[in-house]
Amino acid sequence: MITYEFSEEQEMLRQSVREWAAKNLTPRVQEMEKNKEIPPDLIKSMAKMELLCPTVDPEYGGSGFDAVTAGIVGEELGRADYTASVPVFYLVQASWAHVFDKYGTRECKLKHIPPATKGDAFIGIATTEPGIGSDLANMVTTITPNGDKYVVNGEKNYISGVREVKQYGGGHVTLARQNLRAGTRGMTMFFLPLGLPGIDITEDEEMGREAISTGGFHISNVEIPKENIIGKEEKGFYIVHEGYEFARAIIACVCCGAAMKSLENGIKYIKERNAFGRAIAKYEGIQFPLAEHYTRISMLRDFTYKALHMIDLEQEGKASRMEVSKTVAMVKMFCATWAMQAIDDVMQWQGAFGYNKECPDQAAYRAVRSFTLAEGSKEIMKTIVARELLGKEFITYR
Amino acid sequence: MITLAAEKCIGCVKCVKACPFGVIVMKGKKAVIGDGCTLCGACEQICPVSAITIERAMKDIDLTQYSGVWVVAETEGSQRVKNFTFELLGKGRELTDILGQSVSCILLGNDVAKFADTLIHHGADSVFIGESEALSRYRAEAFAPVITGLISRYKPCIVLFGATHAGRDLAPRVAASLELGLTADCTGLSILDGLLLQTRPAFGGNIMADIICPYTRPQMATVRPNVMKKMEPDAKRAGEKITVPVKIDASSFRIVLKEILDSPQTGKVKIDEADIIVSGGRGVCTNGGFALLEELAGVLGGVVGCSRVAVDLGCRPKSVQVGQSGTTVSPKLYVAVGISGSIQHQVGMKSSDTIVAINNDPAAPIFQVADFGIIGDYRAIIPALVVEVKKNRGG
Amino acid sequence: MLIIACVKQVPDTSDVKVDSATGTLVREGVPAVMNPFDQFALEEGVRLRDAAGEGAEIVALSMGPPQARSALMKALALGADRAILLTDRAFAGADTWATSYTLARAVGALGKIDLIMCGLQAVDGDTAQTGPEMAQHLRLPQVTYAERVTLDGKTLTVKRQTDTGYEIVEVRMPALLTCTPPADFVPSTPPFSAIIKAKKKPYEEWGAEKINTDADKLGLKGSPTQVKRVFSPPKRGQGVMLEGNSAAAVAGELFQVLAKGGVL
Ligand SMILES: Cc1cc2nc3c(=O)[nH]c(=O)nc-3n(C[C@H](O)[C@H](O)[C@@H](O)COP(=O)(O)OP(=O)(O)OC[C@H]3O[C@@H](n4cnc5c(N)ncnc54)[C@H](O)[C@@H]3O)c2cc1C
Ligand SMILES: Cc1cc2nc3c(=O)[nH]c(=O)nc-3n(C[C@H](O)[C@H](O)[C@H](O)COP(=O)(O)OP(=O)(O)OC[C@H]3O[C@@H](n4cnc5c(N)ncnc54)[C@H](O)[C@@H]3O)c2cc1C
Repeated sequence: MITYEFSEEQEMLRQSVREWAAKNLTPRVQEMEKNKEIPPDLIKSMAKMELLCPTVDPEYGGSGFDAVTAGIVGEELGRADYTASVPVFYLVQASWAHVFDKYGTRECKLKHIPPATKGDAFIGIATTEPGIGSDLANMVTTITPNGDKYVVNGEKNYISGVREVKQYGGGHVTLARQNLRAGTRGMTMFFLPLGLPGIDITEDEEMGREAISTGGFHISNVEIPKENIIGKEEKGFYIVHEGYEFARAIIACVCCGAAMKSLENGIKYIKERNAFGRAIAKYEGIQFPLAEHYTRISMLRDFTYKALHMIDLEQEGKASRMEVSKTVAMVKMFCATWAMQAIDDVMQWQGAFGYNKECPDQAAYRAVRSFTLAEGSKEIMKTIVARELLGKEFITYR
Repeated sequence: MITLAAEKCIGCVKCVKACPFGVIVMKGKKAVIGDGCTLCGACEQICPVSAITIERAMKDIDLTQYSGVWVVAETEGSQRVKNFTFELLGKGRELTDILGQSVSCILLGNDVAKFADTLIHHGADSVFIGESEALSRYRAEAFAPVITGLISRYKPCIVLFGATHAGRDLAPRVAASLELGLTADCTGLSILDGLLLQTRPAFGGNIMADIICPYTRPQMATVRPNVMKKMEPDAKRAGEKITVPVKIDASSFRIVLKEILDSPQTGKVKIDEADIIVSGGRGVCTNGGFALLEELAGVLGGVVGCSRVAVDLGCRPKSVQVGQSGTTVSPKLYVAVGISGSIQHQVGMKSSDTIVAINNDPAAPIFQVADFGIIGDYRAIIPALVVEVKKNRGG
Repeated sequence: MLIIACVKQVPDTSDVKVDSATGTLVREGVPAVMNPFDQFALEEGVRLRDAAGEGAEIVALSMGPPQARSALMKALALGADRAILLTDRAFAGADTWATSYTLARAVGALGKIDLIMCGLQAVDGDTAQTGPEMAQHLRLPQVTYAERVTLDGKTLTVKRQTDTGYEIVEVRMPALLTCTPPADFVPSTPPFSAIIKAKKKPYEEWGAEKINTDADKLGLKGSPTQVKRVFSPPKRGQGVMLEGNSAAAVAGELFQVLAKGGVL
């Protein structure tokens, strides 16, 4: 047996977020795109809606959402902000606050999570380095115990939200090597406030997602207290995947939201646009791709909520780590590509306007493109599914 | 039928004060309903112990008893009759000519009898005139019982009200008390198989509906101003003037008027009565451009309206706001300047005969309802238009 | 103090169309929302309840099909203390007379009430009649077009729109208000915790038997008005864009077309 509907609370929340976004977010996207910033009052307004770090325990200011509910918010934000900036802010923070909340120390959580839930700080993730992305085992950033403190050295790049942290405060859930001989088995996860002395931030110019920053930082002899260690020392690699999986599933929700919104824009346009004496929606050359994209995104959407549901089941001990990894990877493997293909056709239907900077769909296209990489590339997703199907002995690089 | 249960009556005198026709008197410590009761219901409403009950036999009534089209007039104090009254009289004439009945006008106010002749010139065969200090400004508590009573007594076939703030406050009160249907905001009225076919917009103007009331009389409707045509006034027309003795004691009213905050009139013509409206929105507000619109409205003989933002930004009074939360207008010409044209605004102006939109944003939704659109800066276009009008009008 | 807030579930107006083949309204797939005027009335009611302090209660009341539950759940999330949905086949097809009668009977069944808050009008039927008709059924004084309300003991002070501007009136409760949002009203969107709370508040569904009424006065049967036909409004002709080289040129063009059309 299978129950296949959202709860009434979830439907109500979706409606409420949709109404909130229609009033507070969508009308400001253009301004955000131009100013390359999410206005602070908008983040405050999200906090008032209790949308920031929503899965976190209420003790630290969260709402105790389950993963499915967090996904609903992601989908609605994906519909509402064609630059995906607010969705990224939301999902990165939600996912890593989720892990932080689950494995962090009470002292560290009390200090760093409530400001984030109130909209006064950002919580991000820093694993990627100039030399490595997918292949975490070859990371160079290190964390070394020194008395009752730890010292961090190294460099991270392509990190979302560096400027936001500089602006509001907060920091990044970070992964570094502690046992240098042990590869992934010697990594430690910790919370790194970016305001600490010894951290030097630089910003990058990205192809899209105008209103949220991406950048890197050098870390030289930065001291952090022991309480900032998340989970057990040298066990960071195992819990980092919980955050990744959470983020990947919500990314898929954002992609579904963005693609569906774009298809709706497209439907409106092709009914109105005439060529050769009739609405272009009358041509099968337009209808068929519409039908295909709609079908594909609908299937993706349903499977995405299944993946989120698996994450919830895992919390109750009803699904295994590996099942979750595989299901989420299947979703993340295609979400960005399919969304891009749908949006690409919507751009195409709009002719030259589709290529114009004023067309929201091209901005959505550029934004969604980032999700083929961020929080794990689509290729790596395939390696995960293959690993689950074939067994560890067939992992290519062993 | 009205009954007063003497055993319940506590002698509070409220009904005596409330009766607009002065037919309730005190006999000893009890109220007694005398002759001339119109079943208007004022006493029943006010009685604190529910001693008074009215039973109306509205089911299985003899529909043929009901005859005549009534128009409920609205005045601006004792200054003038609102335009829509004449429009409804014109419509009433058209309907009665088909029905073979007569048109009456209900004229309530203080010092309004002087308008009776104009009403007759505009099509009324008779005018019921009720005057009282308590009727000097519209209020449901004073107007509803008088009209309810007149309808009960004279049994018209059709009663028309203006779909103004006052009319929409009054008509449903009357309809509910007489157990009658009421059709709101009509833009079309005709006779079909002897019944009043009432056409009205619903869903914010996205659909139209034809409504009938086959089993109850009178058939009642509120009608949008500026839609029906008034007849050419005919000074030779004669009609009957019937004085309705009205005796209302306002001290019985439960609603007390504390303050009147009328917006300063920017023009002599009201926004909902104007033939030409030049309306401005955000774009005009932020640049102090309303002076330009005043000038254009001036040369065209129209008035200046505005969208909601203009009121929000404090540069125009609420009384000239067009839209769902303002006034619904249907002038011959509506010129929307720097108005993006939200659904809420469109609801209020979509039924204008001709719509011109001037906006520098080609994507503004206002262009979708406009008959003529100009993309550009109004600060250049409006002055050019003023010049053009003056040139052609020889002004 | 007991406040009743009347809320109607309505389709998102801009989307509604007439099926040209059957001549009926296409409601399928049209999202349903709480009538925006009612949201304002309700939020004002919640504010008044809070102002009245301890023991004050606000009940959201709606008549409609079972799906109208969602409008009431939203009302609960926005602060109503409990909700009642009047739902029964017998209520279907009601015009404003029958609707106001049914609502009034339900209010009657709730005992002594102090205040009824209605929206000025529903954005679908668009009549603005239900409130005043209900007031008449209940023999209550009505204040329509209310924009701002304050409470002092048992007396309400209301700023209401009139044909010529505004007036301030005072009314002693019990009374019925129909409300229209002022320009600066921003409707609330309930946060998650309010939604969770809403689910725990009392919610009831009442059928015709619950309100003790004359069956002949309900629904289609009790409605004096009949909708004979619905149709799409005549389409405006495709608009014409005027594109002159200069302001003077377009102005000239506009004057010409308006003069030709007899508008000027
Ligand atoms: C196309 C069309 C045209 C119609 N024209 C007429 C007409 O001219 N005359 C007529 O009598 N009927 C008419 N009706 C029927 C009428 O619209 C509704 O059936 C009636 O139930 C409510 O009227 P309304 O939507 O106009 O609400 P309004 O009277 O505009 O609503 C005012 C307020 O009353 C309250 N309210 C209204 N309905 C409910 C409810 N169901 N539950 C709780 N609170 C409520 C709300 O607070 C609302 O804001 C028409 C229906 C249609 C579809
Ligand atoms: C906009 C944006 C924001 C980001 N934000 C963050 C952030 O906040 N925090 C963070 O830590 N990182 C972030 N990233 C980095 C992201 O996680 C990495 O880009 C991703 O993990 C891939 O790493 P890489 O870029 O180093 O590519 P590499 O690992 O160098 O891979 C290069 C290419 O080779 C492919 N490839 C690698 N290994 C295999 C294999 N075994 N089989 C097949 N193909 C393979 C990859 O899929 C990729 O296409 C962000 C990236 C982007 C684009």
